[in-house]
Amino acid sequence: MAAEKLPELDYDKLQIGEELGSYEYLLTQEMLDSFRASVEDPDAAFPTIAVKHDATALAMCYEDNIGGVNAANEMEFHNPPIPGKRVKVTGRIHDKYSRRDKPYLVIEATAVDEDGRLLEKMRTYQMKKPDEVGKKWQAQS
Amino acid sequence: MASAELSNETIPVLTKTITQVKINQFESCGILDRDNIHNNPELAKQRLGTTYPIASGRMSVAFAAESLRKFFGAEVFNHTGTVNLKFLRPVKEGDTITVGGTVNSRQTVENGTLVIVDLYCENQNGDKTAVGQGTAIVS
Repeated sequence: MAAEKLPELDYDKLQIGEELGSYEYLLTQEMLDSFRASVEDPDAAFPTIAVKHDATALAMCYEDNIGGVNAANEMEFHNPPIPGKRVKVTGRIHDKYSRRDKPYLVIEATAVDEDGRLLEKMRTYQMKKPDEVGKKWQAQS
Repeated sequence: MASAELSNETIPVLTKTITQVKINQFESCGILDRDNIHNNPELAKQRLGTTYPIASGRMSVAFAAESLRKFFGAEVFNHTGTVNLKFLRPVKEGDTITVGGTVNSRQTVENGTLVIVDLYCENQNGDKTAVGQGTAIVS
């Protein structure tokens, strides 16, 4: 069966408070090992940082052909996820606003494991005109 | 492990060398297996106009979390910790990122003392790539 085509992300139509639904996945030891290697921290406890729960929730709801640049991240750590257990993520649109003529989208996600343990909460501030900062960065490099 | 007495103390300074291999490995932890501006140079060029992919800001979140965990202890930070970072400059392959911070203040809260740390990330040129705060609650 063909995958369902997602609606294209239209910033103007996004609603503050809009639920992005929920999804589950199995957190594996391989994911934890890979995350630890990528950040050179053998004791890192939250590979979920790299799973990007909030951005994944958005990507499961919308086809985003514009993309964005992370302007900021906020994370709360409550309990390290345990490899071999399933993680359930719930996402929503927390806010959107304009600053210096640039549109920002704030997405957030809460993750619990299969036993109901709260793992983490994350919030990402995405600037939805990525080419504007890209031009500046390219000129600086 | 940190105690409620801490103030004006510095957290461990960490230095991380950024390679595209590590950026790609970080991105491979995701569950959607999609190209993005971090692991696909063409997409970075198309969306950002840069000639290079950039590292996810979340890598810097992980670096800051490591420093804070070493400062507060895993039993404290992994259950009460927070990291809030604002990203100022791109991080890319070849950069060396130094992460550190200083205890800013303490506040009495219901479960103990909230210790607030001012965080910074800077590159090999001394330019700040991110700033923000991290916290944890110590007893």
